[in-house]
Amino acid sequence: MGGGKMAGILPVDTRPWPERRDEALANQTMRTTISLTTRRLQAGQLKVFSDYPEAEEARQRAILDKRAAIKDMDHLLEQFSQAVHEHGGHVHLARTAPDAVKLVRAIAEDSKVRRVVKTKSMVTEEIELNRGLIEDGIEVLETDLGEYIIQRAGEKPSHILAPAAHKNREEVLRLFERDASQSGIEPPPDDDAKTLTQYARRRLRQEFLRADMGITGGNFLVAETGSVVLITNEGNADLVTTLPRVLVSVVGVEKIIADWQALQNIIQQPALNGVGQRLSSYTTIVSGPTGGDAAEGPQKWHVVLLDNGRTGLRGTEYEDVLSCIRCGACLNVCPVFRQVGGNAYGSVYSGPIGVVETPLLTEGTILAEMPMMACTMCHACVDACPMDIDLPAHILSLREENVEKHAGSFSTRQTYRWWARWWATPTGYQRSLRMARAGQRFYMRDGMLRTAPGLAKGWFQSRNMPPVAKETFHEWWKRTHEEGGDRHE
Amino acid sequence: MENVSLFVTCLIDAFRPDAAKAAVRVLERRGCSVEFPQQQTCCGQFSFNAGYQDEAALLAKHWVEAFEETSGPIVALSGSCAGMVVHSYPDLLHKWVLRHDGTEAEAESWRSRAQSVANRVYELTQWLTSLDSSGAESGDIDHSVPFVYHLGCHMRRLLRATTEAQSVMAPQGVELIEPEEADQCCGFGGTYSMAEPVVSTALADAKWKQVGCRAQESGAWGLVGTDMGCLLHLQGRASRQHNSFPVLYLSELLDLVDEGRLSPEVVNQYGGWQDGRNSSR
Ligand code: SF4
Repeated sequence: MGGGKMAGILPVDTRPWPERRDEALANQTMRTTISLTTRRLQAGQLKVFSDYPEAEEARQRAILDKRAAIKDMDHLLEQFSQAVHEHGGHVHLARTAPDAVKLVRAIAEDSKVRRVVKTKSMVTEEIELNRGLIEDGIEVLETDLGEYIIQRAGEKPSHILAPAAHKNREEVLRLFERDASQSGIEPPPDDDAKTLTQYARRRLRQEFLRADMGITGGNFLVAETGSVVLITNEGNADLVTTLPRVLVSVVGVEKIIADWQALQNIIQQPALNGVGQRLSSYTTIVSGPTGGDAAEGPQKWHVVLLDNGRTGLRGTEYEDVLSCIRCGACLNVCPVFRQVGGNAYGSVYSGPIGVVETPLLTEGTILAEMPMMACTMCHACVDACPMDIDLPAHILSLREENVEKHAGSFSTRQTYRWWARWWATPTGYQRSLRMARAGQRFYMRDGMLRTAPGLAKGWFQSRNMPPVAKETFHEWWKRTHEEGGDRHE
Repeated sequence: MENVSLFVTCLIDAFRPDAAKAAVRVLERRGCSVEFPQQQTCCGQFSFNAGYQDEAALLAKHWVEAFEETSGPIVALSGSCAGMVVHSYPDLLHKWVLRHDGTEAEAESWRSRAQSVANRVYELTQWLTSLDSSGAESGDIDHSVPFVYHLGCHMRRLLRATTEAQSVMAPQGVELIEPEEADQCCGFGGTYSMAEPVVSTALADAKWKQVGCRAQESGAWGLVGTDMGCLLHLQGRASRQHNSFPVLYLSELLDLVDEGRLSPEVVNQYGGWQDGRNSSR
């Protein structure tokens, strides 16, 4: 597998960044909610690692296992497919997102599917699977609480782990009240988190029984046994994978790991780093349809392995990106993410990993500006990432690629070029400061710089700047320390 | 007597030379003989972070050559610029040679030249804490003067120098207190502040909000930091909003203590830029 490399296709919000950004910054409720949620999740991660030092050892082993699995991906995927086949399941490889959607639609049509229930899955968001199925007249219901909320709201996930992280309880209550009145059932009595969850559970229970197809993502693919492993906080995956008669698992090829041993180390990582718990509340393992080894479950099981630009990263400096376990830790600590939230990024993958992965998977065809626009180079993400993915280095490389592809304006590039040439010599550097000092009075008011041309213009939209000093430190040193200089000013 | 070479950074050289002069006095009082390699310019981090690697390499090469002339410790007046040299120079120059058709041996030689200079780099408070007596006699301190401390991201994460400033100031009777969410970037980010001023400013406002809360609770006299980039950005924002909370570079604060001049009146002169204080002492 793998073979020919092809750019992936990802959904994109085509509005320009400034528009997405300004919309986000104007949404105070979202900003407050995102900030609270991300702070809570970050604190959880820090606490669990200080409480359980052995978690760090497992993390180190998980990195090694995962890196090795990515290297050995072709062989492991082959082994995985073989094992699934032996259990009576079917494996399909989808090169791109549209290929994957086509495959799932065909499976649904074949099995005369009318109603689908889903678990939380970023990959199905990536390929916009729901839209395709709904076009075929199929009802699709998200069963993870967060996904259920945003589906009701008609929105996109704003956080890869907590899709409704931008919504507060009040907003959720209002959504559920509307939903209840539409379906003629009892609304939740208050906006307590428990009450809201109970409402969704009650509402979903009937749907599980009526559904004829379950769709899952997958956190890990175990090559040794041909298993798809799902971790959830609500247990809904157990129902999605057992009740409907057809089950489809759509999983990125990079989720492959070698064996059960490797699973033990890595399976704790999403919960440890994503929410600060030692284990996710529920682990669901799918190994085959009924009639195989599995005692209960669907009659048919299909696994769709999605490439969509992933294998193109193998053997490049970006290969470690394929180790991502979608824990969201890098989003939680990112200062830019905390300001603008996930939807402003314009991609299903937001935050530091999103600004790296989105242009990489699509070979720079979409959102190539985001590595510049959504990163201050603070390095918080790489500190938080359990898989040690060097996100700042990748962001820098992508910025560099952008410069090389002449995506920056000509005058900007000239500015940087001349700046470096002048400043790489002491005389050029000092002369340029003298020139700035001579010219700056045109830009000053009340002793401060208020505006400037060129590159620095952006600064002055919102900030002042002191002028270049009457005497720089260089000049002062020369005056006071050189032969005959006056040491004491 | 330790001979140290001072790396002042372009921002302090041009916009706040007083901070470097204060650093010279502070170092000399602690028994260091200070040299200032006059060939130095800028570490190139602005270009580096904006994706202009060739340009950054040009400045990095010059920086390495300028400081290769010296021996002994190099004291940097910026956690971020020190981080650039220590964390990024060796690979940057290695890659640069290869990109310009140099041999692997040439690339390695630049890497090791960069590495050996980088090994001598200390940010100011890192250097001060490494000295035996890290200050003048402090006597009995019955109460400390509080300041809010802004620790820049690169000092925190690339140098891992998270407690040095406090260790330097505490014996001097100054308590440095970090604000809530101190680990959140102030939004400066070098050229980020110009390329994406809107988010950059939103972050400055978030930082000021936390600094303001902390100042109120603790009665802090001012904000102190170890990175002039962050401070210019924060004070530039404050100035635009007519907020004249004092902002000091750590060397300036330490110098005031040394000289016995630490008082609210003197500190207040560091609020706002209207008086043209930055250009003369
Ligand atoms: S890049 Fe790292 S921190 Fe971010 S989601 Fe992936 S694994 Fe988690």
